[in-house]
Amino acid sequence: MDKVNRREFLKYLGLGMAALALLDEAELATALPAAEKSTTPAAPASYKLRRAKETRSICPYCGCGCGIILFSEGNRVVYVEGDPDHPINEGTACPKGIALSDVNTVVNRSRKRTASSARFTKVLYRRPGGQYWEEKDWDWALREIAKRVKKTRDSTFEEKDENGVVVNRTQAIAHLGSASLDNEENYLLHKMLRGLGVINIDHHARL
Amino acid sequence: MPKGVLVDLTKCIGCRSCQVACKQWNDLPAETEYFANTWDTPIDTTDNTWTRVKYYFIQEGKEVKWRFVKRQCMHCLRPACVAVCTSGALIKTPDGPVIFDARKCTGCTYCFSACPFGMPRYTSGNWGGVVLQKCRFCFDTQGTYDRIGRGQAPACVRACPAGALLFGERDLLLKEARARIAAAPGGYVNHIYGETELGGTSWLYLADVSFHDLGFPFVSFLSGVAAAATRWTPVAAGMWFVSKYRGEAAEDVTGREGGE
Amino acid sequence: MTNHFIDYKNSDVVLVIGANPAECHPQAMKWIMRGKAARGTKLLVVDPRFTKTAAKADVYAPLRPGTDIPFLLGMMNYAIQHNLYHHDYVVNYTNASYLVDKGFKIEDGLFSGGGWKDGKFTYDTKTWQYQKDGDVIKKDPTLKDPNCVFQILKKHLSRYDIKTVCKITGTPEDLYRKVCETFCATGRPGRAGNIIYAMGITQHTYGAQNVRATAMLQLLLGNIGIAGGGVNAQRGESNVQGSTDMAMLYHLLPGYLGMVDATKHPTLKDYIEKETPKTGYWSNKPKFLIGLLKAWYGAKATKENDFCYDWLPKLDGKDHSHMAIFEMMAEGKIKGFFAWGQNPGVGGPSAAAELKAMENLEWMVVVDLFETETAAFWKRPGANAKEIKTEVFFLPAAFSYEKEGTVTNSGRWLQYRWKAVEPPGEAKSDLWIADRLFKAIRKEYRRGGEFPDPILNLNWSYDKPGSEEPDIDKVALEINGYTVADGKALASFAKLADDGSTACGCWIHCGYWAVDPDLKVVAAKRRDRTDKSGLGLYPKWSFAWPVNRRIVYNRCSCDPSGRPWDPSRILVAWDGRKWVANDVPDFGATNPQTGAQVPPEKSAAAPFIMQPEGVGRLFAAGLKDGPLPEHYEPVESPVRNIMSSQQNNPLTTRRKGDFAKVATAASPEYPYILTTHRLIEHYQSGAVTRNCPWLVELMPDMFVELSPQLAAKLGIKAGDAVVVSTTRGAIRCKACVLPTLRPLKVNGREVEIVAMPWHWGYQGLGSGSSANYLTASVGDPNANIPEYKALLCNVRKA
Repeated sequence: MDKVNRREFLKYLGLGMAALALLDEAELATALPAAEKSTTPAAPASYKLRRAKETRSICPYCGCGCGIILFSEGNRVVYVEGDPDHPINEGTACPKGIALSDVNTVVNRSRKRTASSARFTKVLYRRPGGQYWEEKDWDWALREIAKRVKKTRDSTFEEKDENGVVVNRTQAIAHLGSASLDNEENYLLHKMLRGLGVINIDHHARL
Repeated sequence: MPKGVLVDLTKCIGCRSCQVACKQWNDLPAETEYFANTWDTPIDTTDNTWTRVKYYFIQEGKEVKWRFVKRQCMHCLRPACVAVCTSGALIKTPDGPVIFDARKCTGCTYCFSACPFGMPRYTSGNWGGVVLQKCRFCFDTQGTYDRIGRGQAPACVRACPAGALLFGERDLLLKEARARIAAAPGGYVNHIYGETELGGTSWLYLADVSFHDLGFPFVSFLSGVAAAATRWTPVAAGMWFVSKYRGEAAEDVTGREGGE
Repeated sequence: MTNHFIDYKNSDVVLVIGANPAECHPQAMKWIMRGKAARGTKLLVVDPRFTKTAAKADVYAPLRPGTDIPFLLGMMNYAIQHNLYHHDYVVNYTNASYLVDKGFKIEDGLFSGGGWKDGKFTYDTKTWQYQKDGDVIKKDPTLKDPNCVFQILKKHLSRYDIKTVCKITGTPEDLYRKVCETFCATGRPGRAGNIIYAMGITQHTYGAQNVRATAMLQLLLGNIGIAGGGVNAQRGESNVQGSTDMAMLYHLLPGYLGMVDATKHPTLKDYIEKETPKTGYWSNKPKFLIGLLKAWYGAKATKENDFCYDWLPKLDGKDHSHMAIFEMMAEGKIKGFFAWGQNPGVGGPSAAAELKAMENLEWMVVVDLFETETAAFWKRPGANAKEIKTEVFFLPAAFSYEKEGTVTNSGRWLQYRWKAVEPPGEAKSDLWIADRLFKAIRKEYRRGGEFPDPILNLNWSYDKPGSEEPDIDKVALEINGYTVADGKALASFAKLADDGSTACGCWIHCGYWAVDPDLKVVAAKRRDRTDKSGLGLYPKWSFAWPVNRRIVYNRCSCDPSGRPWDPSRILVAWDGRKWVANDVPDFGATNPQTGAQVPPEKSAAAPFIMQPEGVGRLFAAGLKDGPLPEHYEPVESPVRNIMSSQQNNPLTTRRKGDFAKVATAASPEYPYILTTHRLIEHYQSGAVTRNCPWLVELMPDMFVELSPQLAAKLGIKAGDAVVVSTTRGAIRCKACVLPTLRPLKVNGREVEIVAMPWHWGYQGLGSGSSANYLTASVGDPNANIPEYKALLCNVRKA
């Protein structure tokens, strides 16, 4: 069976072949209506996913590593399902995986898809003693953070320890990283932190 | 050939991805919920929650069994809701799904009284009335939310990681169900719920504990129609009933008490 | 994981201890159920709670939180007493026959060499070492010598008979015996037993020893390196494997290279001499470290300047892990703090004290999707924002499908994910943020500063012309490794050199960004479902580190002559002339120079290639708290230790100030055991999922589970508001009364267990009290993981 047919086949059975282990092969063949064996009928103009773009992703929750397909229109996610080609989850997904769209796009009471209003999408700053966030731009925030990193590093920098060993470190900066970040992101962060001389580094794996 | 879904409750792990998948496909918003002791919110199906998994703790001597039961419209072979629908909004399709045309629904709610599974729910309609809301078996004549018309399993079946849901031709599913019972003596109660209950349902269930303990109703098709009929004027009800079901009452298949 | 999720279908018996796959890893549960349906896999579930996984078990055996070691040692004792262990495997592939120093002793729960130094109990491990003739370790293949590992182990285990074990664990004896019988039956060649664990095993003050116990049991039964076997740690986050590989941890550099430490490695030469074993694959360590230095410092790193070794910051021999960081923060020693995708205000131990410690910071940067409890610590209930001087920067991040990159699952598969939509508003990928932030910092240092060389000279050029985003190809190539001369990707870490001619950011990932010659895509992007073995190995789907090996230690799947123990589940096999392999061999199958086949005898002598002695360790001198697991009570326990006068692990890490609070053993104030757990509907601290309406609908509120008996005794009904308290504090939540919990008989006394999910905090769409306000900051001496799973509490009606 080629890829497309196998995928439609799985969609029809919902579960993959193992689930129908007790039916013999002939019966399995008849379990498929004729239409499904060739092609799926053309989608009507009103079909939910007619204009949707399909993107393959990996679920960001537990460590199973399930394949997920996101269907999107513009910047809204309109549907999420398990990737039927993925050998681990075989098209299925748990409730967290299915609900992945909620982080970006939610369904409102009128059953329309809108951007999540819970997301924090702006650069924010809270000044000492402040009681609210202030909106800032990226350039300002990166520059100000860089200045604070430099000030803290330079004022606490240890070039050599008490035995005269070159240590090149600061103990006044700490970083708690994340097991939700991609490998490439974690790599760059680790490299940056070591470059700055940070030794207080930890993340979820410790907990 | 009518379609169906075989729900094997011995496989269900209570993850409830079917619940979310239904909302994900049908664009249904979340409910505002509060603590439920049994962890199975929403505590009932609603106009925006067409399927839910109810959790049951069954004490057998010292042993506790924890079972998870997905419920939704059963898409009866002879649906009482269709029988009592006064507007013609509800129809039984040859493929199995019981669907409705929201434009025709007058919001009389007789279908709620008739349904032995208590599934119909209602949302506000455009003209101040209410409109029926329930599982449509992912079959949509308008095309927007259609899956099974396009040869795809319903969204809930597609999502199920436990392999508890199987979509296919109803008669083959019955065969599969019988084969599973035969292959695992003691693994199941010897009963396929929905094979004959209420005249047969498109959704079929296998379980390893008594269906009585899992909240499944054992009532007749006509009791549902009769329940709805009590809300009609006696004359209208009598005339309607006689015209539609003359001679059939005698053949009514009452819900079989399980063989377990 | 030694194996991977799909491989669960190949198991004959699955022992789930300290994990709850039906709730926390549903696809893992699917593969267990697949095995049950296809081959009649028996599922044994050991857990204090009757979980959704337990609901599907053939045998459910309850145990008291924190008693996994006696439970597992008792199983090993059963295997040895009933002669159920895999004799040939144990003799050939483990250190059972190795002789240990004659001075080695275990007395009253302590190992030889223990003593107090600077107010801390530590071990001198001299007597834990092997007896040697020169460089050669002495052995007794008959396993009779009283100083051989097998005899030492046997004697140690004999104290853990069924009656004693069940007195400690509270497990009913009949159920315990059933677990022993069923699982130890996999000690026969041709039978595969799989141990699955998660945080129930690790989150203890002897978490590393708990893990050791699972591995030792699997070695005894010959279950490591075979299809359907293994020790499988189900990891809780999508990329916790990858972020660990990338060393987002103070004590490591990428690829599990130990971090350089001033007390041990002042120079590169010191590091290489002290950290490079003479035998085993780690003998290549200099290539890995020098490859890393070349990747980081580029042309500046030369042989003459020790490849800029001195530019790496060096540790000071002290702990700088999570709990230590917050202790330092509370003491005012930390001024600047990045919470980059982590929410310790909900997830950390003694979380209320951690939030309070943040008030001492001068500045804090939070990079996240939502306004987490950590980001909003200055407006938490009870805080006076006006008094809190900390500056807080919130940087909005992109979600997983709003950017691209790879993540590594528990089975070590590095999988690529593509971008579906743009991040909302001003949110940016973490790659973009890291790149821009470093550039901003470097810009500041161009004007001078303390020792700017490592910052100014860090190899950092990931720009992509015409793109806002950094070039992920360039980052990935650097991680993968390349030849310095031509910048071409390396296909395998076997090509790495220690002369600076190769650069590699993370040696274990080498090959993930090399193009597959057949599929014409980089390995991490492969999506081919070929699986000739039928075992679910899928060698052309993504890339599994190391070198695309799906099941590690796979030499152990055959006997010493290369004949598979189980002909129906072949990973590798010697056909008389050559190796036939379904998986990538985890041993030298061919001579790298000549390509000639290496006969099985050679690899049979060292099937565990990462160990200097080449075999699996039933006795391991490398742990700080003992070469063998021994039962200690959790720091907070309702009972006295009946095995020895050592109540707790003598090396437990304890903290100062607000983090020092622990209840005394058998405290009358806190009579119930408290354990914490997860739910399927939420993820970690709930920072993301508590803002997902569909998931909040499914699990809206924080609660505490009580057994029906305890609820009745306290006059509490389901849904009542209750107060749960520990010596760290008290929280309010709903009472959940279900038969998922029941009291256990521990040494003749009934002990109640209460359980709490820990996903809630005061922020978000679904808010609630945080269980971690109650948890203690005590940790395991090897890994510094906090003891979240076994504490003492009290419960009353609010």
